[in-house]
Amino acid sequence: MNRLFISIKIALSVILLFVSGVQLYAQDDMTADEIIQTMTETMNPEQAKGKIKMTIVTTTGQERTFEYNTFSKNQGEKSLMKYVKPKRVRDQAILMLNNADDIWVYFPRTRRVRKLATHAKKQKLEGSDFSYEDLGSSDEFIDEYDAVLHRDEKKQRKVCYKLELTRKPESSAGYSRILMWVDKETFVPLVIDYYHDVDPELWEKELVCGDIELIDGIYTPMKIVMYNKLDNTHTSMEFIEIKYDVDLPDNLFTEMGMQK
Amino acid sequence: MSRLCTGLIICLLIGAHVRAQELDIYGYFEPQYMGLYRGSNYYQINSNKLRVDLKSSSIENVEFGANIIYLLYFGKKNWNILDFLPERITSGVPSEIQPLFQLTYKDSFFLDNVYIRLSNSRFALMVGKQQISLGTGYFSNPTDVFNVKDALDPTYEQPGHNAVRMDLFLRPRLSVMALYSPLEMDWQNSGKLVRIKVGLGHFDFSVTGYEMQHTSTDFYTFEITQQRRRLLGVDFVGELLGLGVWAEGAYNFMKQDDDFYEFILGIDYTFESGLYTLLEYHHNSPGKTDHTEYDLNDWMRYFVGETKTISQDQIYGFIQYPVADLIMIGGSTVFSISDQSIALVPMVYYSIFENVDLTLMLNLYVGEEGKIFSSSLGNGGFIRAQVYF
Repeated sequence: MNRLFISIKIALSVILLFVSGVQLYAQDDMTADEIIQTMTETMNPEQAKGKIKMTIVTTTGQERTFEYNTFSKNQGEKSLMKYVKPKRVRDQAILMLNNADDIWVYFPRTRRVRKLATHAKKQKLEGSDFSYEDLGSSDEFIDEYDAVLHRDEKKQRKVCYKLELTRKPESSAGYSRILMWVDKETFVPLVIDYYHDVDPELWEKELVCGDIELIDGIYTPMKIVMYNKLDNTHTSMEFIEIKYDVDLPDNLFTEMGMQK
Repeated sequence: MSRLCTGLIICLLIGAHVRAQELDIYGYFEPQYMGLYRGSNYYQINSNKLRVDLKSSSIENVEFGANIIYLLYFGKKNWNILDFLPERITSGVPSEIQPLFQLTYKDSFFLDNVYIRLSNSRFALMVGKQQISLGTGYFSNPTDVFNVKDALDPTYEQPGHNAVRMDLFLRPRLSVMALYSPLEMDWQNSGKLVRIKVGLGHFDFSVTGYEMQHTSTDFYTFEITQQRRRLLGVDFVGELLGLGVWAEGAYNFMKQDDDFYEFILGIDYTFESGLYTLLEYHHNSPGKTDHTEYDLNDWMRYFVGETKTISQDQIYGFIQYPVADLIMIGGSTVFSISDQSIALVPMVYYSIFENVDLTLMLNLYVGEEGKIFSSSLGNGGFIRAQVYF
């Protein structure tokens, strides 16, 4: 009886998955907001734990490599980064809550925790081409921007939704305008172009996502590269490890969690 | 007793290493070349510092840590502090006690930190010589009685302090810290601190209560006075109108001397270009408003860290800009409102290799003789490399 119940449950789940999948691909009439919502959900799974290698390439071609452990919860609303390499920043930790509206940095040499104001979101992360804002604001595209859907375009040989996001007048987001190309199959943004805070025509950065793999049922770009068009530098982030099937405790995302 | 504790912790560290072979060894080497022009003379005092950190977390929820510092000086190692003070002060110092104002940079080899930390998800207990950092101020921390920051280089690491520290994390943004800092194993005269920290919205607030023995020296007679000091401090950090804002203040209840207070107010902002700016106002009630009243005790207590400033009001400014990928330029300035003197500290930071940083810092004093930033104190600077391993 119990086995039969389980079999029915599995069968129902498969049907539901199939139906929802069919709906996903069949909905070519999705609105811009729906696409952004689906993309945000895809890119911000409920929980994640991983190790990232970040490589900064400077204008003169010099490289700086960082490695850090990363943890996120509540679809990226809470995130924690702990540096592993290089030795200079080893054990330094960055806690971001409320989609990076609240940021704390822990300095292990002095055992000091310093809270940063939101303007610090504009600061480069260890001199990279990523700002705190680029890494921490999971819901920013939904809350801070108005989106318009353009005609489909191909990027990396994939058919993509092309979206144009314009910053809402009341928003304090760091970019005035964003263009993005979202893969129609996986809902991963393959390319995101960021435009300057003040000048919406000035192309500031380009984010390119690649090496997309299905991990724990979630499409994951294993390599992300941010090109700074103004400084002619770029920074890549590669997942060394990533797991979504984890249960992270809430107290990991606290001062205590930063120091542990 | 402290030697016994140190020995015990090192044994545990080595024991843990032997057991699990999981002892991390890392640290840095820091050569520093410092020059000073004073009048027509040039002096230099240089140092080579090696810090080796040991850390082991081989037992779950238990961390052993230590760092050993080896510090070698060369150049002009002997200084007499009286050479830097106005003649109206030094002329009154009897010649027989003048050698007592000699300052000698001695080579040293010591354990700066050595501790055990036991923790679980809501609790941490740390015993041993450890880093203690309190407060939200950048230039100075009125609630931090353990450390005195260098006004020209306030973020440089501070020495370790013997303490037993317990942290309780009651809720995600509510914690209580209790700290006991033993002094000659006398409970009454030892430091006892309680600090409650709570997060409300985009702000973090803390209240600190501390009782300790306060030491002050009369440098005319070299008599040391000790009395009970109780401190009540508050601090917060958060955001207002897009600016980072913070404040930190402490009122000190003295058993014999007059009570005194100190506070700091600060703001910071990062511009779109990456330019970071910070401004702080600092008030120290024991400081003086008229530089002609600075006496030998004021200067000496300032030099040895018994008081944080000798002028009552000052403004601290800091600016930093990433001029290239791996190069930061900037600087700081301290302006004494009380005596109208100023210190300018331009700075260049260069990440020259993956684990090698270079820092060039100058200190330029613009003030008349007898003021806190008098040009007669000398102008100079240093170049410092930090090689991490």
